[in-house]
Amino acid sequence: MGEIVDEVRVELPDISIDRTTLAWGAPYYTKLAMASTGGRAPEAAVMHLSRLIGYAPGGLLEPFDMDMLEQVGIRESDIPAALFERCLFQDEMYALPLDTHPFITFYNPAIAEPAGLLNPDGTLIEITSPDEFLDAGRAMADVTGAQGIAYGYLSDPAQAWRLFWGLYGQSGAEYDFTPGQDVGFDDGTAVELLEFMQSMLDGTVAAPNSDYGSAIANFTTEQAGLILSGVWEKTSLQGAFPDLGGSPVPVMFGTPAAFGDSHSYVLPRQLTPNPARREATYEVLGAILKQGLTWAGAGHIPSLIPVVESPEYQDLVPQSNYAQAAESIFLDPPVWFAGSGSDFQNRMCQAMQTALQGLGSARDSVDTMIREMNTFLATPAPA
Amino acid sequence: MSATTSTAAVPPSADVRKSRRRAEREAERRAQRLHSGLSGYWFLAPFAIVFLLFLIWPIVYGLWMSFTDRTLIGTNPGLVGLENYIEAFGDAQVWQTLWQTVFFTVISTIPLVIVALVMALLVFTGLPGQWLWRFAFFASFLLPVAVVTQVWGWMFQPDLGLFNTWLGNLGLDPVGWLTDERFAMWSIALVTVWWTVGFNFLLYLAALQAIPEHLYEAAAIDGAGAWRRLFSVTIPQLGRTTWLVLILQVLASLKVFDQIYLLTGGGPAGTTRSTLLYIYDTGFVNYRLGYASAISYIFFALIIVLSLIQLFNRRKEA
Repeated sequence: MGEIVDEVRVELPDISIDRTTLAWGAPYYTKLAMASTGGRAPEAAVMHLSRLIGYAPGGLLEPFDMDMLEQVGIRESDIPAALFERCLFQDEMYALPLDTHPFITFYNPAIAEPAGLLNPDGTLIEITSPDEFLDAGRAMADVTGAQGIAYGYLSDPAQAWRLFWGLYGQSGAEYDFTPGQDVGFDDGTAVELLEFMQSMLDGTVAAPNSDYGSAIANFTTEQAGLILSGVWEKTSLQGAFPDLGGSPVPVMFGTPAAFGDSHSYVLPRQLTPNPARREATYEVLGAILKQGLTWAGAGHIPSLIPVVESPEYQDLVPQSNYAQAAESIFLDPPVWFAGSGSDFQNRMCQAMQTALQGLGSARDSVDTMIREMNTFLATPAPA
Repeated sequence: MSATTSTAAVPPSADVRKSRRRAEREAERRAQRLHSGLSGYWFLAPFAIVFLLFLIWPIVYGLWMSFTDRTLIGTNPGLVGLENYIEAFGDAQVWQTLWQTVFFTVISTIPLVIVALVMALLVFTGLPGQWLWRFAFFASFLLPVAVVTQVWGWMFQPDLGLFNTWLGNLGLDPVGWLTDERFAMWSIALVTVWWTVGFNFLLYLAALQAIPEHLYEAAAIDGAGAWRRLFSVTIPQLGRTTWLVLILQVLASLKVFDQIYLLTGGGPAGTTRSTLLYIYDTGFVNYRLGYASAISYIFFALIIVLSLIQLFNRRKEA
């Protein structure tokens, strides 16, 4: 992002841009909310799209002016429809997506190839069922002599949920999160999915007790041939394997879907709005979005369709191999308490952790998840 | 002036003159005292302002907030009376986190007192290389919590961590130090003891050095051996210090937050979530400031009650 902003500074020499990066997660959202309520909000901020619903109703954000966006060269048709829909609140556009960052798979061709998992063009073969996925893991374990798949979930506030919720999207099961009511959630499917995740963590397909860091370590030291992770890890993993491969999470439960989210720009409410600054902000954001190729270099999939369709992007490997994951991105349920960096994700992961470690049954963990969901739904929204 | 002239006809006696002079001197002194008293307030002002601004005002403001439905992202809080308190008393999470906080306090305080005492005794009784021991025992206390949790997080790491590697070398199964509900709180307590025992060690060491030498001489003359001197002289003489260490430690352990936040985030399955972590999550992650304030005040009241009980017991003993 620093590189992009530097380029935008050159492009727009009359505008002075200050940029701050804060640590990810709950503290970031606390700071953003406090800066906004305290009247010291930045002109623009980045937010996970899944958190928008928790902020927009509170009056902390202002909607985008579509005409002004068009003036800086960004049209509604440039943004994937499914993504654009989540940018709306009460029919107004409150978020301008910079990217999508789905949960995907990265693989090491040196292991996937002898395991018989690569097509002649070097892409991963199609895997269409849970059993095929487990078999693929075993085949790679034969090659590595350790495990086939790296997946770290322990002591992490999001990893278990990322895989689970993406698979829930694949199953096509319904869900209904209406505040004040009990959750509508297909517990039978949830148990089935969690049992699949349990069967994956058998010590051969994947290590039973891995956290985020050790999964990365296992993958980069060739103790595993494939890793379930997010596009954001692309740069660090490619540092270990320049020929790193990537593909969407295999469609094992019927419908193409993968957990994901989008870094989106929002306009925090200003106590004393300054039209000139606001206009400059639109110009800067327009220029940043058009630098999507640079941003794609870090692994994220740019939000603007023209950028993704450009020949330059199509030349980026493995990015272009997993870019289709953006089309079936499955965000958290649109409720105030869910989304990236939320306590909700953390509680879901903690509930699943017991089953994934083999310390309890999948049914018990799903019951805990439903109980926690109902607690959140019964809690009054803060806005 | 008129009063003086009217009384001038009868000159005052020597006694009256003396008492008048005395009264004048007294008034002068009083004025001086008042003056110096006022300048004292100026010296007090910086502290008083900070105290009012950063302690008293937040306490009052927080109390007010606990009667509202104030949120971090909403702008117009409404008064809800005792609703937040009623909700808190019926909230299973409040009771669970409170119990976990008390559990942590018990399992951390006991070793933090005993280990500190043993360490201080080892140093005091003349282990060779005194400066090294003093430094080594206290050094961990100087580390910031982020460093401590980073280092221990690696050692507790389930796959590649030091402890599980050792267990593996002994042919034992790995332990989920921070991920297994049965062990997580104990692991946090272990980290806490390693990190903070140095402070208690220092208090004990200072107290040991203050025990009068003649008590030991008298005991030795009476034929007391090393153990007898320890149990009949040293430990009773450390009574006040033990009490101090205990109170400080209980209060510190009840406030546990940082190491849990950084090591487990309250997991697994919420089993290491302390009351303060729950307050933080409620207020700053889920934005319910009013409700978080109410839980804070319930916790505050509990700590005050505990402190008063301890104070009362101490008075009775004295």
